[in-house]
Amino acid sequence: MPHGGHFLKIGVSGIRGVVGEFLTPALACAFAQAFGTYVGEGRVVVGRDTRRSGPMLQHAVTCGLLAAGCEVVDVGVSPTPTIQIYVSATRARGGLAITASHNPAEYNALKLFNHRGLFFNHYERSELVDLYHQSDFRQALNEEIRLVKTDYEAPSRIHLERVLAHVDVSRIKSRHFRVALDGVNGAGSRLSCQFLSETLGCELHAISVEPDLPFSRIPEPRPDTLGELADLVRRNHCHVGFGQDPDGDRLAVVDETGRVIDNDDVLALAVDVVLQRSPGDVVVNLTTSHAIEDIAMRHNRRVYRTPVGEANVVEVMEAVGAVIGGEGSNGGIIFPAVHPCRDSYTGMALVLDYMAETGLPLSALVARLPRYYRKYGEVVYEHGRLGPLMRVLEAAFPQAVSDRSDGLKLMWPRQWVHVRASNTEPLLRLAAEAPSREEVEELFGRIVQLTNLR
Amino acid sequence: MRRVAPRSLRISQVGLRGVVGSAMTAAHILDFASAFGMFLEADGPIVIGRDPRASGVMIRHGVIAALLACGRDVIDLGIVSTPVVQHAIRGLEAAGGISIGASHNTADWNALKFLGPRGIYLSTAEASELLDIYHLKKFRFVEWNRVGTLRLWDEAVDAYLDELAAVYDFSSLRRFKVVVDCCNGTSSLVLRRLNDRFGFRFILINEKMEGVWFAHEPSTTQSIVELQLAPLVKPLGADAGFLFDADSDRVAVATENGCAVSEELVLPMLADHLLLHGPGKLVITNLSTTGLVDEVARWHGGKVVRVPVGRQAAMDALTSYPPEEIAIAGEGTGAVMMPQFRFVYDGIAAMLAILTMLDERGKKLSEILASYPRFSILKGQVPLASQQIPALLMKLQRLYSDGIPNVQDGLRIDWPDRWFHIRVSQTEPIVRLICEQRGDPPQALFDSLLEQLRSFA
Repeated sequence: MPHGGHFLKIGVSGIRGVVGEFLTPALACAFAQAFGTYVGEGRVVVGRDTRRSGPMLQHAVTCGLLAAGCEVVDVGVSPTPTIQIYVSATRARGGLAITASHNPAEYNALKLFNHRGLFFNHYERSELVDLYHQSDFRQALNEEIRLVKTDYEAPSRIHLERVLAHVDVSRIKSRHFRVALDGVNGAGSRLSCQFLSETLGCELHAISVEPDLPFSRIPEPRPDTLGELADLVRRNHCHVGFGQDPDGDRLAVVDETGRVIDNDDVLALAVDVVLQRSPGDVVVNLTTSHAIEDIAMRHNRRVYRTPVGEANVVEVMEAVGAVIGGEGSNGGIIFPAVHPCRDSYTGMALVLDYMAETGLPLSALVARLPRYYRKYGEVVYEHGRLGPLMRVLEAAFPQAVSDRSDGLKLMWPRQWVHVRASNTEPLLRLAAEAPSREEVEELFGRIVQLTNLR
Repeated sequence: MRRVAPRSLRISQVGLRGVVGSAMTAAHILDFASAFGMFLEADGPIVIGRDPRASGVMIRHGVIAALLACGRDVIDLGIVSTPVVQHAIRGLEAAGGISIGASHNTADWNALKFLGPRGIYLSTAEASELLDIYHLKKFRFVEWNRVGTLRLWDEAVDAYLDELAAVYDFSSLRRFKVVVDCCNGTSSLVLRRLNDRFGFRFILINEKMEGVWFAHEPSTTQSIVELQLAPLVKPLGADAGFLFDADSDRVAVATENGCAVSEELVLPMLADHLLLHGPGKLVITNLSTTGLVDEVARWHGGKVVRVPVGRQAAMDALTSYPPEEIAIAGEGTGAVMMPQFRFVYDGIAAMLAILTMLDERGKKLSEILASYPRFSILKGQVPLASQQIPALLMKLQRLYSDGIPNVQDGLRIDWPDRWFHIRVSQTEPIVRLICEQRGDPPQALFDSLLEQLRSFA
C-alpha cells in the first residue's frame, strides 16, 4: 500500500477513511468517546448522510458518546448544515455529522462541531486529537449513562426558517421558476424537493432524490459530473439547475442554457448579492478567484484570505465579523446570518432571490461578474518536495507578492498561482488565475514546467 | 491512574462481564462483538436483546455497530429475557445471538452472553476460539457496500410464549394464584403477556423495569426471597411465590405459607417431577449442588452426573449425552434447563413446570417440599491468595483420606450422607466452602474446615 494515509486519516480534520478495513467501528467509537469527553456531559447531536455505512458508524458513534456520559440526540439522515444549525439552536454541547461529504461512497468520516455548531478551531481540534491518542476517556458508570432521543422533524424546519428569513419568499414564489435538481440521492434529497417545490413554489424537475438508493454519480458536484442535470435543464427549459453533494453543504449551479457555472462565479454572485444588502467584509480561501476583491472593492469592502478548508474560513469570518464568505473551488457559500457554515440551501435561496429581484436570466447575471480564467491541476506529492518547489517558484517570479500561509501563493495585480499540499490526499494541488485564457494557460504551463524540475 | 476494583472485569470462556465504566468499556464491547461477528461461521442474521440496565443502551449500539461492520444483519428484540433471545435464534434460524445483561449481578455490572446457532451457549472449545479471536484483535470487516442492516422485531415474546404453550397446559395452570418478584427485570414483560394473552393470574411486584436502581439485588437466593416476596404470599392467598433474576434465567421459590425455599431445592424438586415423566434418566448438575438430587434420582432409577461449577461445564456435559437421555440439568442457584428446551436456562419455564407439578399431584407446594428428606447445607468463604490454593487442596485431600475425593473443580470429598466442596471463586479472590449432611448441619466438619482454610490465609 503506497499511501496508507489515503485510506485512513486521523488528524485535525477529524477521522476519515475507507470503511471496512480502515475506518472501523472501534475507531469511530473511540473517536466519539474522545469527543464526548472533550465537550462534556450534555446533549450531542448526531446525524448522517445517506452512505451505506452510515447506520453502522452512527451506532458506533452513539456507543462512544453514551459511554462518555453524553445524551445523544439522533437527527437521522440530515444535511450537514442542518445538523450544525440544530446544534446551535438547541444549545447542545456539540454535534457530529457522519459524512465523507463529496468523497466517493466507500469513504466515510466524522465532522465535528462545537456547542455553537461550528467546526472546531485549530486549537480545539489538536486538543481533541491529543485526547483521542491518550485514550483517557470519561467512562460513565451505569447510573451516568443517558438516553438516546430522536428528533427527525425540527432540524430541517429550523434550518429552512433561518434561510427564508433572508430572502423575499413571496417574490420568488411569484416568479414560478422552473428548477432542476440533482440530489445525488444524498442527505438533502427530500428536504431539497420540499424546499424548492413547496416552500419556494418552483416547478421542480428532480433526479436522484431517493435517499435509500446509492449515489447516482461521482458525488462531487462539478461540471464533468453534472451532465444529467444540465440535460434536465435544457430538456425542460428550466431557469436554473442545482446540484448538491451527499451532505448538502456544497452547491453547483447550472444556468438556463445548461452550462454548469464555475463554482467561483456562484460564490461571486452570492458575495455581490449580500454586499448590496448588508455592508461588511468578505473572507475566502487563497484559491478563490480574485473576482471577489473586484466585487468587494465596488462596495468599498475588504477581503480576507485564509488557508484552504471551511474551518479556516469560518475561523477568520468569526474573528473579523464578515457578512459573507466561502471557498470558490469547493462550491461552498458561507452566509453567517443563517449560520457560519457552507450551506447549499442558503446558496439556492440567494440565487433564486437574485434572479427574482433582477428579473434577469442567470447567464446574464453571471456575465456581469468580473471575468477571470482559472486552471487547476495536481501532481503526486512526494515528501520534501513542496519546500524546494516553493523556493524555485519564488526565485522564478521575484516580482510577485508571495504568501506562504498555505503552501505558496504568488500574486500579481491581475493574476496569481497557488501550490499547496492537499489535506486529504497525497497530492500537490496547483491553481492559477488570469484575466484571459491565453494568460492563464501560459502561467499554468510555466508552473507545471517548474514543478517537474527537481 | 483510575482505580479499578479487583476482578470487576471478567473476560473468559463465559463471555465478557464487568462493572461498566470503571472496568468494562465501549472498546471491550466493540472488540468482543467484532470477534463474535467473525467467529460465527454460519450465514444468517444475529439476534440481540438486553435487560433493562441503563448501560444496556450504550452496549446495544456498540454491539450493533460491530456486527453490521462484520457484514452481519442484526435483529434486535429490544428489552427481553435471555431465554427469549435463545428461542428467537432458533425460530428465526439465525446464525447466533448476543444477550446483553448481567443476570443476577448488581445494576452497575453488565455482560455479553454469546449464543450459537439454535440459541445454544458456546461450548468450551468454541468459547476459547472466540477468546483467541478477541485477543488477537485482527478483525475482518466487510467492504462498505456489504455492511449489514438492522431490523427490529417486537414479536419475540409472543413467539416464545407459543413454544411454552406447546409444552405446558396453560388452561390448567392459569387457575393458580401466583405472586412474582420481578426484581425490576425482564420477567415482567413475559408475565404480563401471560396474564393478558392467556388469562394467568400473576400478581407482580417490582415489576417496573429499572435501569439504575433495583429494589434489591436481583439474586435468586433464599435471603432475597425473604425480603419482599415471601411475606406477601400468605396474606394474598397465593399458591406460590416466584422470584426471577434480571434476565429471567434463574428462579427462586416461596411456599403458600410464606416460607422462602432454599435455592438448592428447585433442582431436586423439578428432577422429581421430570424423572417421573421420563424418558430421560440423567440429571446434570455441579459439584456444589445438594445431595438431595442424588436421593431423588435414586427414587426414580435416575443417575446424577456432576460437573465443575459454571455454565460452560454444564453445556459441555449436555452436548455429550443424547437429548432423550437427559431429564434435567441445573445448579443450586435456581438455574435449571427443561428437557424440552435443552440448552436454555429458563426461570419462567421452571416456574411453569413447578406449577404443573402442583397441578398433577394435587398438593400444596409446602406438602411436596415436606416429602423430601432434610439435608442441611452450610456455606462459607475465606480470602486466600491464588498461589496457596494447590498446597491447601493437597493437604485437605490427605487429611480427609477416608472419604472419596473428586478433583474436577477444586476438591470435593464424599462420605455416605455427608460431603464438602472447596472451590476457588471465579469472580472474587476467595475460596468457597460448601458442606452438606443429611439431617442436622455438619457444624463440626464445617468449623474444622474453616479453621484449616484460615490457617492458610
